Amino acid sequence: MSGMSDALAFLALPFAASVVFVLMHAYLGVHVLRRKIVFADLALAQLSALGATVAFANGYAATSAAGLGYAFLFTAMGAALLTATRGLARLVSQEAFVGIVYVVATAATILVVDRSPQGAEHVKKILVGSILTVDAADVAKFTALYAAIGLLHWLVRRPLLALSSETAPAGAIRVAVWAWDFAFFLSFGIVVTSSVVTAGVLLVFSLLIVPAVIGSIFSGKLPVVLLIAWSVGIAACAAGLAGSYALDLPTGAAMVTALAGFLLLAGLVKVLIVVGAEQRRANLRIAVNAGAAATLGALLASSVWLMINPTGDQPLLALVETATGAGPARFLGPNERETYESATRDVVRFQAEVDRLDAMEKAARYQGTPLSDDEIRRIASYQQSFNEMTRGERFVQEVLQGKARTRARWIIGVPATLIALAGLLWLTRRHWK
Amino acid sequence: MAAALVAAAPLSAALRVVTTTTDLAALVAAVGGDLVTVESIVPAGADPEAFAPRPGDLGKLRQAVLLVRVGLGYDYWLDALVNQTGEKRLMRGGDAYLDASAGIPLLELRGQSVVNEGGHAHGVANPHYWLDPESAIIVTAGIAEALVRIAPGRRDTILANRQRFLSDLETRRARWSRTLAPLVGVKLIAYHNSWPYFARRFRLDVIGFIEPRAGVAPSPAHLARLISAGRKAGVRAILLEPYEPEDASRFVAQRLGVPLVRLAISVGSLAGTDDYLALFDHNVAALASALGARSP
Repeated sequence: MSGMSDALAFLALPFAASVVFVLMHAYLGVHVLRRKIVFADLALAQLSALGATVAFANGYAATSAAGLGYAFLFTAMGAALLTATRGLARLVSQEAFVGIVYVVATAATILVVDRSPQGAEHVKKILVGSILTVDAADVAKFTALYAAIGLLHWLVRRPLLALSSETAPAGAIRVAVWAWDFAFFLSFGIVVTSSVVTAGVLLVFSLLIVPAVIGSIFSGKLPVVLLIAWSVGIAACAAGLAGSYALDLPTGAAMVTALAGFLLLAGLVKVLIVVGAEQRRANLRIAVNAGAAATLGALLASSVWLMINPTGDQPLLALVETATGAGPARFLGPNERETYESATRDVVRFQAEVDRLDAMEKAARYQGTPLSDDEIRRIASYQQSFNEMTRGERFVQEVLQGKARTRARWIIGVPATLIALAGLLWLTRRHWK
Repeated sequence: MAAALVAAAPLSAALRVVTTTTDLAALVAAVGGDLVTVESIVPAGADPEAFAPRPGDLGKLRQAVLLVRVGLGYDYWLDALVNQTGEKRLMRGGDAYLDASAGIPLLELRGQSVVNEGGHAHGVANPHYWLDPESAIIVTAGIAEALVRIAPGRRDTILANRQRFLSDLETRRARWSRTLAPLVGVKLIAYHNSWPYFARRFRLDVIGFIEPRAGVAPSPAHLARLISAGRKAGVRAILLEPYEPEDASRFVAQRLGVPLVRLAISVGSLAGTDDYLALFDHNVAALASALGARSP
């Protein structure tokens, strides 16, 4: 019970923040998808980070007026750059320029932070963010800012949507097109500038693109796309946060993975459920065949590899052994089996000894008589010996495992290869006729 | 005339010593005095474990008569750099090579491998041994020995310098221990496992870490466990190093209602930590004032 309330207390604010983020970013994501410049957000976010970094290098805090001013200035420059590339898009894809802006802004950030002590940390923070430790004031700030920008976009939705659609308004005045473009990129830049500080580039990118893609898979109508994007985005964020808590994972990365998982799920739903009965049967057949072919292909490669090099790394076999709990014991004689098992026991025992010595030393730091340097050295040399012995036992395990696999080489390898080959032949039987 | 000048030059010219960190540079300066010019490859305040060498460092190494490193995988990037210079004397076992960790009573010997994990190399033992002032006795002995080998004519000066430094260290160490005496056994949380040697010397108990694996953001479950363990143990402060992110530490500090204490992990990483003794002056004072211990 207390675990549950603990989790809620921990995740309430990050969840509130992610709901606010999803509402704003999924909407902008739809625009970006239609403009076919999905990396524009990364480019603008990185430019604003560059601005913040320049401010930082000049001695201003990121949240000070000067810090925000620099970030905004660089974002505005980015918006102008992206606007200008629309003209160039007839020659080369606009995405290419967006990519260049992103990479150059990142490289410039590294060059600028190189002179400051917190440089590496700064770059890392921009990437992964820290949505877990967001506070209530931040959430309120985001809500106010996004409400204002959302309202603005609602008021001028017609020209913005027209520009984002494939068919740019015929006969529209060139200057007006540029101005609307600039306004779009600027507001977009302000949004990602604010969110990247908290959520990090990876999560912000996922929030922009993934819900919008999921919405677009199912519909072409903007209200429907948005409704799907918002609800799926919020559900994915909730799942990511809950998973992060339950499975003890870093929050931002867990949320990104959850969003990707929902995308995969949406793809399956689309091809297996939201289609006609006949199409569904066909898709299901393709899915089953593809799955079977992949499994059989892996089995074939793995068993051929076992026959070629039984003592090498055998990832699939190791996976099967771990999953079934069946070690190499089956292919070892009684003495070898005894040796293998005692080596396994000793590894655990020796590591427990290392831990026990660690705990003893740690306790003596502040309790009882302090340990002398010589006693510390003795503990270190015991630990060193236990570590060496562990390594020795691991070596014994590896040798015996190699022996077992060399014996299993033909017994497992040949039948598995034949089964895999037969299965693959059967799957592709139509092509052989 | 010219020949005489050239011959005289090595005597008057300072010996160039290169260290990987500012802490070792400070100790070399204390022992070498006017005889040496010392330069650290990692600048003050940068994270040595996340450091990327640059081309100019090769030149620094080539001109060095002595190279002093932390060892224990902490400055693992040095090996590749030294290999690039192709100079045998700078390599492990060479005349100009000094691993300062030799002879230190090491803590937390995990001994898995020397291979660094995710850019972070706590493979052998915890490498932050310079944060125990007693380690300076062993490290300066190694430095003095190496300098005497290089400049045998200046033996007396070198030994006198070291003696002066050690007596200053002893005086201040007694003062630091007195200042921190009321805090024996005090429970702390650190951002990263950088303080075992400091904790051993001043008898502190660091019960947990905000970021258990370097470079991986803490999970909410980890922070929840840390906060409840901190509450149970009565943790009184969160230790933070200058280049570490504040968000998670501040979050935990707020929940526990305890102060964040910014400690310098290296010479020059915070204002007022310009030499080895000043580093401890600063850290001891910061800890004492945050935890309300009176200076005697």
